Amino acid sequence: MPRIAAGDRAALRQLYAATSAKLFGVCLRILSDRDESEDVLQEVYLTIWRRADRFEAGRASVMTWISTIARNRAIDRLRARGPMAYAEPVDEIEIADGSTPADVLLEAADDAGALAACMDELDARTAQVIRTAFFEGLTYEALAARMATPLGTVKSWIRRGLLKLRGCLER
Amino acid sequence: MSDTGPELPDDDALAAEHALGVLNARERAAAELRMARDPAFAAEVETWRERLAGLLAGIAPVPVSEALWPRIERLLAANDNFEGLRKRLQMWRGAAAGAMALAAASVAGMMVMATQPPQVIEAPSPAPGALLNANLATQGGQPLFVAAYDPDRKALIITSLVPPGTDPLHVHQLWLIPGDKKPRSLGMVEPGTSKALPMPAPMATLVAEGAELAVSVEAPGGSTNPEGPTGPIAASGALAKI
Repeated sequence: MPRIAAGDRAALRQLYAATSAKLFGVCLRILSDRDESEDVLQEVYLTIWRRADRFEAGRASVMTWISTIARNRAIDRLRARGPMAYAEPVDEIEIADGSTPADVLLEAADDAGALAACMDELDARTAQVIRTAFFEGLTYEALAARMATPLGTVKSWIRRGLLKLRGCLER
Repeated sequence: MSDTGPELPDDDALAAEHALGVLNARERAAAELRMARDPAFAAEVETWRERLAGLLAGIAPVPVSEALWPRIERLLAANDNFEGLRKRLQMWRGAAAGAMALAAASVAGMMVMATQPPQVIEAPSPAPGALLNANLATQGGQPLFVAAYDPDRKALIITSLVPPGTDPLHVHQLWLIPGDKKPRSLGMVEPGTSKALPMPAPMATLVAEGAELAVSVEAPGGSTNPEGPTGPIAASGALAKI
């Protein structure tokens, strides 16, 4: 990452070779559209190129940092589609698992294992609402409308769920 | 079965909710602006982003079209980070003492630019009529402003994506940071509004591909330092050909 920050294109090419398929999977999971996912992926690597100097090595793994950029950019694109983006039913939300991460993904996989175990400790509905919010960028208002549940109730579920997740991850 | 027990307190919750993405447009913009001026809050949001990134790990990789990398490679030059906008602006904030010398150097630089033929100017000038645009995004990649420059009309159009009424205690000041790395104030941008800024002749030569635009969050009245921002940078982006 320091080499990328210093303007080394070969280093960015290496990072691209090691991570683009994974990030493309993330974009596709959120957008379900190859063309849009490619556009977002392009933005993601240009963002990494521009902002590699702001990556803090002590904080996150590289994979965590760039995955979060990809997720946030894909969600921005999803929101830009407008209200139609929120038309899919909530039952379709499932997380794929059983994938084999490449070498660079191993570190992130450890973190993921801890989070997956903690998500399993939540009740099914809370875990599902948190996943839906994360993968679809739905606001509290949109979640409440889709689930035909009062706004305050949805907020309570998510806030309790997030507090439990934090407690579980810090154990 | 239902999760019961305590909820996250409001302020802790805000960081988690922003990372998760459940805030509405106005709350989201307010959270981004707070991240710019409150490092502890920004760190808390980043920690939550790291926690939640584990949800992405289960997603299987999908091979990308081979045509994509050449597309990205062509765009790298226009996206160079130089040595980091934030550092430059921090340097300028502390450089008020040397302002006179620097202002003189800048005038000299502009005279050099005006007398030399276009091909020796480092940043390539756009072809006549080529629009430039910039997305001004936060460090986390959230777009807060968009800008477009029309070199024929010599006007910069800036649009704030910050919902009206967000953070009424602060103003948003727009800065142009051209090739000489010296910030010039372009005035205030009201949340939720769009305005066209005429660029008079000496300024227009500075608005070129690669020049950076940045917005700082300031107390009412704007930065007390005419040479650069006093408050934190909320969003920034480089001008590029559309």
